Amino acid sequence: MPFINFATKEINCKIVYYGPGLSGKTTNIKWIYDHIRPENKGEMITLATETERTLFFDFVPIEVSNVKGFKVRFHLYTTPGQIIYRASRKLILKGVDGIVFVADSQEDRHDANLDTLDDMIENLKDYDINIEEIPLVFQYNKRDLPNVLPVEVLRRDLNRWNRPDFEAVAHKGIGVLETFKEISRQVLKKLKS
Amino acid sequence: MLNLKPEEDKALREILNNLAQESRSKMVLLIDKSGQLISRSESPAFSSDDVTFASLTAGNVAASEALSKLLGDKDLNHMFTETEEEGIYMILIDGKFILVSIFDKRVSNLGIVRVKIKKFYSKLVDTLRSIEERIKKESAVSADINPEDIDLDTLFE
Ligand SMILES: Nc1nc2c(ncn2[C@@H]2O[C@H](COP(=O)(O)OP(=O)(O)O)[C@@H](O)[C@H]2O)c(=O)[nH]1
Ligand SMILES: [Mg+2]
Repeated sequence: MPFINFATKEINCKIVYYGPGLSGKTTNIKWIYDHIRPENKGEMITLATETERTLFFDFVPIEVSNVKGFKVRFHLYTTPGQIIYRASRKLILKGVDGIVFVADSQEDRHDANLDTLDDMIENLKDYDINIEEIPLVFQYNKRDLPNVLPVEVLRRDLNRWNRPDFEAVAHKGIGVLETFKEISRQVLKKLKS
Repeated sequence: MLNLKPEEDKALREILNNLAQESRSKMVLLIDKSGQLISRSESPAFSSDDVTFASLTAGNVAASEALSKLLGDKDLNHMFTETEEEGIYMILIDGKFILVSIFDKRVSNLGIVRVKIKKFYSKLVDTLRSIEERIKKESAVSADINPEDIDLDTLFE
């Protein structure tokens, strides 16, 4: 749920990067963080284990000023992918305004994609969020690797709602901004309705 | 959609300012459980990025709530964290919001903070409830923002 303060003229929106472990969620928001102008970003937070895997969440605040006198703030979150962190994933979805589902294109990770998507659908149901209505974008990441599934297969199995989707190589920044811009656009559009 | 009108923003800020002053806190923040910063006292003494602070606090409270459920389904009401110099006291409001006081341990203490929160608690709850009532009655708010007005490219170098 976006939060609008008409006194300070601020709009805050929450965008969650969801997907199986190691699909590239942290890489996406880290890339965004590293390439955004300093005046447009706050502090990035990473709650990671020693093995560099996200333990609870990563967080990046991004500010866009002077949109018709308003300041728009996007709060980007990533979820931990491992199955044992189901509870944390659910907590992070609370109040979500838009979701980027980051899939791992590798063939042997496809079951993990499917399981995580099921888990996301369940969690959204628990919050009474209709997946048909919430801003949602799919990203098929790791397109640089040799053992990847064709995009058509990923699209058919994951993107059942015909949402915008993008191929990506996140650590090179390919597809990262396109994905972020699309989800931001959808979230902002929803503000008007 | 959660939103604040100027007069509501002012009312909340006034409560938080008075609370900060009387409890001798460096800063008092009101956060919603999804991590949004709703309001804060005007406190020049605090420099950390308060948006990030709000997000981490909500995560912290959510994790502690899950923990206390795991330990036997008790509701979490408040939490206290401290660093060498500062105390951070968090209390849940109406199960939906988190009120946080950050204080210098040489200037204030947990006892004072809790007594003062108790004093302002019902006023804060009433204010929040009337905001929620007003939002419920309103069918839609429009911030009158056009997605096309935003050039997201300018964000990046
Ligand atoms: N080959 C390749 N590796 C990637 C790509 N995106 C991310 N990675 C790597 O995959 C690993 C896991 O990424 P991370 O962002 O931590 O995954 P998360 O668990 O979804 O947050 C890291 O070593 C990344 O460098 C990609 O597009 N191609
Ligand atoms: Mg991660």
